Amino acid sequence: MSIAEKNTSEAILTVENITLSFGAVRAIRDVSFNINKSEIRAIIGPNGAGKTSMLNVINGFYHPQEGKISFRGEVRKQMRPHEAAAGGIARTFQNVALFKGMSTLDNIMTGRNLKMNKWNVSLVPSMFYYGPTQKEEIKHRQHVEEIISFLEIEAIRKTPVGRLPYGLQKRVELGRALAAEPDLLLLDEPMAGMNLEEKEDMCRFILDVNDEFGTTIALIEHDMGVVMDLSDRVVVLDHGEKIADGSPDEVKNDQKVIDAYLGVSS
Amino acid sequence: MFYRESGQFKTSYQSDQAVFPIRQDLWCVVAFFLFALVVIPYFGTEYFFQAIMIPVLIFSLAAIGLNLLTGYCGQLSLGTGGFMAVGAVACYKLTTGFPELPFIITLLLSGLITAGVGLLFGIPSLRIKGFYLAVATLAAQFFLSWLFNKVAWFQNYTPSGTITMPPREVLGYAVTGPNADAMHRYIFCLLFVIVLAMAAKNLVRGPIGRSWMAIRDMDIAAELIGFRPFQTKLLAFSVSSFYVGIAGAMALSLWLGSVETAEAFDINVSFQVLFMIIIGGLGSMMGSFVGAAFIILAPIALTNVMVSWLGMQAVTAKHFEFIFFGGMIIFFLVVEPHGIARIWQLVKEKLRIWPLPY
Amino acid sequence: MEFINLVLIGPILEIAEYPAFFLEVVFGGLMSGVMYSLVALGFVLIFKASGVFNFAQGVFALFAALTLVGLMTGTMPFSLDKVLPELPAWAAIIATFIVMVGLAIAVERIVLRPLVNQDHIIMFMSTIGLAFVLEGLGDTIWGSEVKALDVGIPTGNFMIGEIQIQIFDLWAAGVAAFLVVVLAVFFQSTRTGRALRAVADDHQAALSVGIPLKNIWIIVWSVAGLVALVAGIMWGSKSGVQFSLSLIALKALPVLILGGFTSVPGAIVGGLIIGVGEKVAEVYWGPLVNGAIENWFAYVVALVFLLFRPQGLFGDKIIERV
Repeated sequence: MSIAEKNTSEAILTVENITLSFGAVRAIRDVSFNINKSEIRAIIGPNGAGKTSMLNVINGFYHPQEGKISFRGEVRKQMRPHEAAAGGIARTFQNVALFKGMSTLDNIMTGRNLKMNKWNVSLVPSMFYYGPTQKEEIKHRQHVEEIISFLEIEAIRKTPVGRLPYGLQKRVELGRALAAEPDLLLLDEPMAGMNLEEKEDMCRFILDVNDEFGTTIALIEHDMGVVMDLSDRVVVLDHGEKIADGSPDEVKNDQKVIDAYLGVSS
Repeated sequence: MFYRESGQFKTSYQSDQAVFPIRQDLWCVVAFFLFALVVIPYFGTEYFFQAIMIPVLIFSLAAIGLNLLTGYCGQLSLGTGGFMAVGAVACYKLTTGFPELPFIITLLLSGLITAGVGLLFGIPSLRIKGFYLAVATLAAQFFLSWLFNKVAWFQNYTPSGTITMPPREVLGYAVTGPNADAMHRYIFCLLFVIVLAMAAKNLVRGPIGRSWMAIRDMDIAAELIGFRPFQTKLLAFSVSSFYVGIAGAMALSLWLGSVETAEAFDINVSFQVLFMIIIGGLGSMMGSFVGAAFIILAPIALTNVMVSWLGMQAVTAKHFEFIFFGGMIIFFLVVEPHGIARIWQLVKEKLRIWPLPY
Repeated sequence: MEFINLVLIGPILEIAEYPAFFLEVVFGGLMSGVMYSLVALGFVLIFKASGVFNFAQGVFALFAALTLVGLMTGTMPFSLDKVLPELPAWAAIIATFIVMVGLAIAVERIVLRPLVNQDHIIMFMSTIGLAFVLEGLGDTIWGSEVKALDVGIPTGNFMIGEIQIQIFDLWAAGVAAFLVVVLAVFFQSTRTGRALRAVADDHQAALSVGIPLKNIWIIVWSVAGLVALVAGIMWGSKSGVQFSLSLIALKALPVLILGGFTSVPGAIVGGLIIGVGEKVAEVYWGPLVNGAIENWFAYVVALVFLLFRPQGLFGDKIIERV
C-alpha cells in the first residue's frame, strides 16, 4: 500500500490539552494532537522539548496534571501502564530497555506475555511444564520465530542481549514490541546511534510493519531525512509546546519550525 | 573434541527447548544422579550421610528457594532462617496433630503454610521498590524466632522448648525418628529434592521465570510491557517461601530430629543461605547445589586443615572461617557475580572448542 | 473485654500511677535511642554519598572499639606474647582514627572501586561480606572475649525530682548532638558535601563532571569510620566491647526506615523513637507476653511504617525516569 491508498482518516489516539509538570518544571504545556489509524506519525523537536515525556504519558508511565487521552474511543484522564499494554500499545525506549540477563529469544518472548493463555502458564502447570505450558510456549515461539525471521536476527537468537552491539539491541527491542501485535507502536528514537545501512534496514522494517499489518506508528526521530521519507504527518514540539502539525512538507517549510529546530538547509 | 555439539541438530522447537540440549550434558547429569542413587548408598558411612549428604541436599533446596526470589527475581530476603523455622514448626504441629497424614503430604503442607506466612510479610513490603523486602524479612526473622520460642503452643507445651519429630515411614521404611536409618533418610532426601528441583527448573524456563527475570532486569520496562510488578514479586516470594519452608521441615524431620527453633534457624542461617547462592551463582539451579555444597563442606575442610594439620586452636579456625567466607563473598561479587555456575559455563564453552583456543 | 483491659488499660494505668518511673523509662529509652542514632548516622553518611547501605557499619564500630581497647591496654595483636606500652586515652583515640582511615582506604580499593556502577543489591551484599571479614579479623587480631572500655567519660548520676539521670547518658547525647550539627553543616554547605550528594545519585555522572570518586569515597568512609569510632566508644563504655555490638547494624535498618535513608536529622529522630518505643514496650507490655519484645519491636514498627510512609519521616521521595 502506498501512502495514498492507506485509509488514515480515523483517529486511534487523541491527546487533548495535556499538561505535565515535575514540581516546578513544566515538561508539556497544553499540547493536543491526534494520531490516525495506520498512519506513521512523527514527533520531532529539539532536545528537552517533551517528546519522550509525551510518549510516557501515552503509555501511562507519567500522569499528566491536566488533559485527556482518548484511545480507541475510551476517554481517560490517565493511563495505567498495563492498561496501555493490554489495549494494544507497545513501545521501544530511547536507552534500550532490554532485559540484559536474557537471550534475544527470551526477550522477544516476554513481548508475548499478554497474549498467552493465563491458565496454561499459571503456577501449577508451569511446574510440570510438559503439557499445557509447553504447548503454549511452542505456540508463541512460532510467532516469535516469524518476527525473528522478519527482522533477520536468527543468528543471535540464543545470545544474551547484553553482549549484542547497540544496533542489534535496538532491533531486538523492536522485535519485542512487535511480539505484542500492537495496534499502536511508539518508537523512541529507533535509529539513534545507527550507521546508514542499519538505518535503512530499520526504515524498511518500520514500513513493512505499517504496510503488512496496518500498525499505527508514532515515531520520535531526529534524522530529518527519515522523518520526511517515512511519515504521513508530523507534529513538532518545542519547550513543551506544539508549534506545528501537518504533513512533512508543510512542517518543513513552517517558519517557526525552521527557527526553532531545522535551521536553513543549504 | 569430546564435548561438541556437531551432529546434534534440533528439528523442533520442543527439542530446542530441552533442559539439557547438548547430549553430553544430559549423560553427565544422568550419570551423576545414578551415582548418587546407587553408588553412594552402598559405600556411604553414617557420618557421611548425616554430616554431609543430607544437609547439602536440604540446604540446596533452601538455596533454590532463595535463588528463585533473589537470583531470578532480584528481591533480597534476609529471613530465610525464620521461614525455615516456620516450615519446621508447621511440620511438627501437623505431624503431632494429624498423625494419619502421609509424611510427604505433611512436608508439602508445611511448604504451603510457609508460603502463606510469606504472603503476610510480602504484601506490605513488595509494593515499594528497593530493598524494603530485606527489612520486612529481617522483621520476619526476629519476630518468628521470638514467636516460636515464647508461645508454648508451638512446642506442644514441652518444658524443654525443643520440638522433636515423631517417627514416620514412607513405603515401609522409617525415615524420621530415632530409628530411621541414615541411608534411608538420604535416599528419601535425594529423590524428594530432585523432584522439587525439577519443578523449580520448569518454572524458571517458562513464562513465569521470564516474568521474574524481566522484573529483576528492568522493572519499569517490564511494567510497560504489561507485567504486573507487585503480583510477579509476590508470586516469587510465595514460591520461594514454599521451598524454604519445606527445607526447614526436612531439616527438622530428616536431619536434626529435634530442634530448638531459635537456635537452629537464627539469622546466621539466613546469611548462610544467602552466601550459598552468591557463591554458587545467582539465577542458576545448579549454582544452588554447588553453593550449598561449598558452604557446608568448606568449614569442615578448613577445620580439618587448620586444627588437625596446622595445630591451631579451634576458636582461631572459627574466626578464620568468618574472614574466609566474607572474603569469598567479596571475591565472587567482584570477579564473577554469577558465581561458580557461570565459571563452570565458561569452562564448558572453552571445552567445546578444545583443543583449539578459540 | 478482659483482653482490652489487659492490653490497653492495664499498662496505661500503670504509666499514670507512677509518672516518675515512666519518665525514667522514657529517659532511658531516649538514651539508648541516642546510641542507635549514632550508629544510624554512619549508615546515612555512606548511603547519602555512595548510595550503598553499609551493612558493615556496626562491625566498624566493634572493630574501632576493639582497636581502641587493644591500644589502651597494650595488647599485642594476634595473641602473640609480647607486651606493648599502654597508650593514654586521647592518643589511643587518635591512633584508632588513623586505623579507621586506613580501613576506609582499603575498602575503597578492594570493594568499592571494582564494583563501581553495579546494582545496589550487589553492593549491599558485598558489605555483608565486608562485615564478616572485619568481624573475623577483629576477633583474630584482638581476641573475642568481652572487654571493658573506659576513656574517662564521667559516670555517676543525679536526681531531678524523683527521676534518676545518668551523667554518662548526658555525655552521649551531647556528643551525638555535636556530631549531627557538624555533619549537617558539612553536607549542606561545603563543596565536598555537594560532591558527595552527586556521587550518591549517579556514579558515572559524577565521574563525568570530574568529581574524583576515589577521594570522595575515602573521605566519606573515613568520616563514617569516625562516627563508628564514637559509637563504639559510647556503646563499649556502657556495655563492654563484645560481639553484640555488630548486631546493631541490624537495628539501624528500622531506624533508617523511620527516619529516611538519606536524612541526618531523620537518623536522630528515628533512633530516639525506636529507643523510647522499645523500652516502653518492653517495660509495660513485655510482661504480658513473657518478655523480650525488644527483639522484634523495632522491625515490626518499621514494617508498619513501610505500609504508610515508605520514605520515612524525612527522606526524599524518589522520582523515576524512563
